[in-house]
Order: sequence, then structure tokens, then C-alpha cells
Amino acid sequence: MRGLDFPTDDQVLVGAESADDAGVYRISDELALIQTVDFFTPIVDDPYDFGRIAAANALSDVYAMGGVPKTALNIVAYPIAKLGPEVLRAMLAGGIATLRQAETVLLGGHSVDDDELKYGLSVTGFVHPAKIRTNQGLRVGDCLLLTKPLGTGIINTAVKGGLASVATVQRVTELMAALNRRAAEVMAGFSVSACTDVTGFGLIGHLAEMVSGSGLTVILDTARVPVIPEALEFAAIGLVPVGAHRNRSFREKMVVVPPGFSAILRDLLYDPQTSGGLLIGCPEGEAAVLEERLRAEGMEEAAIIGYVRDSNREQIVLT
Amino acid sequence: MSLTLDARGLACPAPVLLIKDAIEQQNPETMTVFVDNDASRENVGRFLASRGYSVSEKADGSDWTLVASRDQSTQAGTAAAATARPAAPPAGKQKILVLIGNERLGGGDDQLGAKLMVNYIKTLKELGGDLWQLIFLNSGVRLTIGSSPVLAELQEYEKRGTIVLACGTCLEHFGLTASKAVGGSTNMLDIVTASQLADKVISLG
Repeated sequence: MRGLDFPTDDQVLVGAESADDAGVYRISDELALIQTVDFFTPIVDDPYDFGRIAAANALSDVYAMGGVPKTALNIVAYPIAKLGPEVLRAMLAGGIATLRQAETVLLGGHSVDDDELKYGLSVTGFVHPAKIRTNQGLRVGDCLLLTKPLGTGIINTAVKGGLASVATVQRVTELMAALNRRAAEVMAGFSVSACTDVTGFGLIGHLAEMVSGSGLTVILDTARVPVIPEALEFAAIGLVPVGAHRNRSFREKMVVVPPGFSAILRDLLYDPQTSGGLLIGCPEGEAAVLEERLRAEGMEEAAIIGYVRDSNREQIVLT
Repeated sequence: MSLTLDARGLACPAPVLLIKDAIEQQNPETMTVFVDNDASRENVGRFLASRGYSVSEKADGSDWTLVASRDQSTQAGTAAAATARPAAPPAGKQKILVLIGNERLGGGDDQLGAKLMVNYIKTLKELGGDLWQLIFLNSGVRLTIGSSPVLAELQEYEKRGTIVLACGTCLEHFGLTASKAVGGSTNMLDIVTASQLADKVISLG
């Protein structure tokens, strides 16, 4: 949206011009408001599960900013004549179940009649102005941690093609419906330098935003990046979404790939994620303890996946 | 039998599904597939390879033509192999990086030093899967060229999953860039990074 002149004022702490997860507005010295909105077309067949995933995905932006979600509004585009009221009801019930897990209230919403179903939420949260975690701020010597495995975009492509097993669909549904709440609560106890959630731009795309303009190099230890095993299998037979290719052509100039690097693993690193995990930067001395705590809190695949180094240009080095 | 399929105008995963159905129903010996974007070209190419076809590509403006023929020797076994993660240590418990900065081992007698280096590189196989990377610097890069006395050993290590690399600046310095016969080229940033990621670094002067 370059070139547009956004209205702003002195209380805007994170605004529309930054490529961050959500906007932040200062209310007082102790309180700032986080606002975000996200909605999309169904990625799983079951409407209740889709509702859960859409809510977890919308809430995630608040967690990624270090905040606590408080209120939400539904956004619904729905073909009522084609699908009838039951699917809508199940979908909204799924969203409500996840909001309840997040201890976030639903204040209302808006729906329009549309040929194609879309659902999502606008979420508002609170954060102390001094505790905002933006995607900027990585420091030399930091480690990077990822809290959920990669591969949901590839699995969703396989689901569309009817090639994913019931067990795989279930596992990935639970992964996408899982809140980033515990991850955010755990990281609040550490000296986190920067945080974002991994979504449509894929791991490398969101990493690239984190180092953009910083002059830092990220060394990605790809053997330690958690991935959904089935996603490797599906990528190997060409079930890679267009989004992954788009993410790659957009960012590949700043990525250093060693000779002989697996094209399949590379595609996973660019795979667009739905309701992905948090990507957290923290000092090397705290990283191992943070990893351990995340794992103990149920994020069993959370891992230290990279290191931040000084450099004269921004790049992501795969090893 | 031969088959021609047009996957132009289709979005992922539709091109792959089109080819999948065609293979399952007709099992063609050869196939010609038209695609109109890079993503489809890669995905269809990868799918055909996973089903035991060898594929050649031809660009035609913004379109691509993929010609596939059944490869009798590989059959459908390549999908599993392709999912392996070469970036990971090849089944070892730790990642050992060996830096070789000389074509000889130790000082004193050059002839003896050359023999010792050959013996050392051959014996490295005892590290098994733990041998993660072998990086050659300075005159060590001479061990990666066609006349190297350990060429066969290095090729074997590489085949087993060890990453073999030669310093690009060093190859250039000795005028050997075109003579390298094994491994990839590397630069100082990658070497520094690899040293950091390794569980153990063995450096030979």
C-alpha cells in the first residue's frame, strides 16, 4: 500500500506503514490497544474445525505482539441460499469455542451474502506499552525459536487434491486450531527482542521481514526446523501451493542456499502457513531454557532454528 | 502408449491431479504435458519423477512443455529418497566438521606429509555418519581436483551424505576452479557458520 497517506497521531505505536502483525495504539503509560483482523476461505471441510482455525489465526496476531486478546467481532461472507443455516452455525460455534479458550469475548459481528464462504475475526487486545513485541529488534547474538512445525500449506494442497489421510487431516487441524496463547505467556518471562507469527509469507518471508533494514544475517539451521513429516512426502510429489513459489520468487535474492540443498525442504521453508507458530528472537544465553519451557508447555516441536549474526547486508543463510 | 495433457490455465494442485489420474488410468510409457507457469512446471516435474518418469523440459514463451518417459531402472522408488533431508547429519549422532588447510599432514618431510594426508582422509570413514562436512582451504583444495589421490574417497563420502566443499577463493588463487572434480565451492561466511553449527571442528593446518 505504498504511496497512500494514512491518517495517524502521536499515540500510534505500531502503524499501518510497518509490516507488522497488528497495529498498536497508546491509551496511557500503562496501557496500549492492539487491533488486528484476518479472514479467509475454508481450508478444511468441517465447518466447526474451520471456525476454530479462523479464530486461532486471528487471535495469533495479538499474541505475536506480546498482548492479551480481550474482545472480538465476527466477519462473515456466506452463501446462505446454497449452504443453509446449519453450516454457518457450526462454523461460528467453532470460533466461539476457541475464543472461550482465549478468554476473549465476542461483542458481535457483521455478515454479507456472498457466493464464496469467508470467515474471520477482528480482535482487540491489551498490552503494556513497554512490553510490545514487534517483528523488529533482533540483535546480534540472538537465537531464533519456532513453536509449531511447518507444512500446513502443502498439507492443505494435498487435502484439496483428496490425497491426505484422515489421520493427517486431524493432526494438522489440531495444529492450526492450537492457540499461540501459551507460547506468548511463556515468552513473556524472557528477554525477547522480536516476535512474529508465521503465516502467509512462510518461515523465510517472515524472517525476511524481521531482518529487513537491520543489516543482520540469520543463519537458519534447517536440520532443526520442525516440519510435519507428511508435508515432506507431499512436497516430494509436487503438491506445493502456488503461494510457496510466489514467496520464493519474492525473497530468494536474500537467501543463500548451499550446493545440493534439498529442493523439497527449501519449499517447506517458503510454504505459506495457516495459524502458524510464533517465531521468537531471544539472547543465546536464554534460548535453551525458553526451548525447554515451550516444550514442557505442550509445544513439543518448539526448537531453536537459527542464529543472528552481524553482517553488512540482510541475508538468510541456509545450512 | 503415449499421452498428451494440457494443464495450462489450471491452478495447483489441479495440474498434478490431472497427471495423477492419467497415470493411474492409462499408465502411459511417455507423456507430453503443457503448463503455463513455473509453479506447475516444478510440481508436475517432481510428481512425474516420483512416479518413475525421467523428464525433460522445454520453454516456449511463458509456457513450458514437459516430456516424460518411463524410466525402467528407477520405478517409483524416488519419492521416498527425495524426502531425505541432506541438510541433516547423515544418521550420525554428532556433526563433525573437518577443515583441511594443506595438501600435506604435518611438517618435516613433504613426501611423508602427502602420504599421511591420503591416509588420514581414507581413515576418516571411521567417523561414519558423524562426518558432517569436509572443507578444503589453501593448498588443501588440490585434494579436490581430478588428479587427487583421494578423489574416489571424497566422492564416496559425498555420496554417503557428507558435505564436501572447497574454498572458492583458494581454487581461483591456484587457477584450479575448472579442475575441481568433487564437492561444491564455498566462501568464508559459510565456513564460519558451519564451524559454529558443528558439534566438533577438526582443523588440520
